[in-house]
Amino acid sequence: MILPIGPVHPNLKEPLRLKLKTRGEKVLSAEIDYGYVHRGIERVMKGKTWQKGIYLSERVCGICSYIHTQTFAETFEKIAGERAPLRAQYLRVLTNELDRIQSHLLANSTYFKCIEHETLFMYMLYLREPVMDAIELLTGNRVNMGWNVVGGVKMDVNQSHLDSILKIILDLESEYDRYVEMFEHGPLVGLRSHDVGKLTREDAIKARAVGPIGRASGLNHDLREQHHTYRDNFDFNVIWRKDEDNYARTMNRFDEIKESIKLIKQVIENLPEGEVRKKVNIPAGYGEWRNEAPRGEVSYMIETNGNLIKNISIRTPSIMNIDACAKYMLKDVATVADAISTYASVDPCIACTERVVIVDESDNYREYAYPDYKLEYKDK
Amino acid sequence: MSSVIWYIYEFARKSWAEKFAAAKTDSEIMEVPSRFRDFPEVRKEYCIACGACTAACPAPMAIKLVRSSDSAHEEGITYPVINNRGCIRCGFCAEVCPTDPKTLLCGENHLIREEFTILPVDKMFVIDDYLCIRCKKCLKACSQVAGAISEVDNKMVIDQSKCIGCGECIKNCPVKGAVKGIYINNVEEQKEIINLVVDTLEARIEAEQDKIKKLAPEEIYKIDFPINDLIKKAREIIPNDELIRDSIEKITDRLKMRILTWDDEKCNNCRLCTSECPSGALTYDKEKGVQRDADKCLRCSICYQTCPFGVAGFFIARFLLTDANIQNGMIQITLKPSQLPYRS
Repeated sequence: MILPIGPVHPNLKEPLRLKLKTRGEKVLSAEIDYGYVHRGIERVMKGKTWQKGIYLSERVCGICSYIHTQTFAETFEKIAGERAPLRAQYLRVLTNELDRIQSHLLANSTYFKCIEHETLFMYMLYLREPVMDAIELLTGNRVNMGWNVVGGVKMDVNQSHLDSILKIILDLESEYDRYVEMFEHGPLVGLRSHDVGKLTREDAIKARAVGPIGRASGLNHDLREQHHTYRDNFDFNVIWRKDEDNYARTMNRFDEIKESIKLIKQVIENLPEGEVRKKVNIPAGYGEWRNEAPRGEVSYMIETNGNLIKNISIRTPSIMNIDACAKYMLKDVATVADAISTYASVDPCIACTERVVIVDESDNYREYAYPDYKLEYKDK
Repeated sequence: MSSVIWYIYEFARKSWAEKFAAAKTDSEIMEVPSRFRDFPEVRKEYCIACGACTAACPAPMAIKLVRSSDSAHEEGITYPVINNRGCIRCGFCAEVCPTDPKTLLCGENHLIREEFTILPVDKMFVIDDYLCIRCKKCLKACSQVAGAISEVDNKMVIDQSKCIGCGECIKNCPVKGAVKGIYINNVEEQKEIINLVVDTLEARIEAEQDKIKKLAPEEIYKIDFPINDLIKKAREIIPNDELIRDSIEKITDRLKMRILTWDDEKCNNCRLCTSECPSGALTYDKEKGVQRDADKCLRCSICYQTCPFGVAGFFIARFLLTDANIQNGMIQITLKPSQLPYRS
């Protein structure tokens, strides 16, 4: 029997159709339909100045909106052959990590809702709220921050902002372990999470899974390692696991939040003095840049004539992750309820996913975001 | 027992009852952070009606300029109005606002310095370095208005962040085409208009095919083509007369069309051309002889240069828009036989 879920369903955050092929309660395979929230943002951006385009790029994703503006700005900086001032780079790291914390907490809260652990669901949202306040304090708005510009960030911070953010982060850290422990050692949670939705390392490579989903399946790969700001100035670990199941994906996100807290502390400790924005003269050209979004790798390809965006292509991480979920995770799942929780554990973001992807097969037109780096996975 | 009495006493108090009756959320409970970007605040009295905010807005229909009606004492003033349903609260309008103090306020915009602002305009002006004769007339004209043009390395350069799109540079430039005004919006529609113009002109020349064939080597053939019908069709694509006229003028200035005629009667089926044709437009058939497929033809002129009998004729067409007025404008088509050598 084919059991359709969605496009409008109380368990789904965003519209998408999940077709589960079932025999009795057992799910044999699954199929996913997109196309309900395609908005054609790239088409709207064409022929506009970057000053307008950066506000539109922010609206690609509703949860990880920050990283899109940063990638957009860094692509233009790459075309111009310049980098933002160091203080601006530090502030970008600060906002990026705050955004990562709130995104991971929201993703985990959705997962807990899907395994019907309402207490943890509420706790996660309770933890997330002060982080959102910190973002609002820093940038002015909670979700669509409008914080990045080409050549830096819009506003400077003063010591009072940093103090309040540090206080929020320390509060979060002090309470954090208690909630993680509830998940880590909870017997009922374990029943619903261990060995459910397996994605083996080989399948993850085949499906090109990225971000926490790939890292939970043993792919030790984080683009932040290669980003110039992180590589040169910060000290952090890439979190990865070998368990390959829902539990691993959720725990991976929990542990990444700890790393983000570590990074934010480093930013506030070592924030250099100086300008936060400089004028960048953009020449005509083509540029490509990749960044680590909360869900994985996001890449921008922009062609400009110096003033207007001639062509733009955006690739978001959820495309690969949702495909990995439909193809490999939702195969021979014991119950329909487990299928739902597996789907939620992938942290799907449908509004991101609905892009048009054009791949040039001739391979002559390819340009790497980090030329001195070769993509390879370290061994298990 | 005593606690129960205290409860009853508490409920019976008048102030409590009043509070209960007029229960409402205290508006000061929510603390707005200092950097919070709300909808832009408009201060009408400073507005100079430059239109920078409407041009800058990334959301459609979010901001527009209105003019209040005149009263008995004074004239009405022009000011921007924000549509709260369209506004995405990005604060870009406040960033580009050139007045001092600012007409529009949104968040902490005092930190944005002047050098980063841009004034986005409909038309972007570009100086063509090959045509420019460095007379500096545009620089003089611009220095009185915006000061966007400067001389760098003996080249005239326009700073797009300062340009206000007044068009003084184009008016003062003595060389046609050295300063170009490019419409940066409606790019797709402009492409459609160009395609329309090229297709119509080609069809017009096609209709005169028979007369063109008989042209002597040094002769010139002229056709006058009124653009009335063209403009009617273009208005269906986009109803902007200035843009249509601009596109047509630009395309007629630089368009050069190669016309290839084919005279079957002269053909002796020697088949020299079929092997040379790069696109396979010329084929040989035993019954029909050499056949030409006009759709495949690249107009490379190889058949014209190869043919010993003069079957193919090769002509160059150039165009000129005579009247600046859009209503009775006329495109002059000039056809000239090619100067390329051919065997005969």
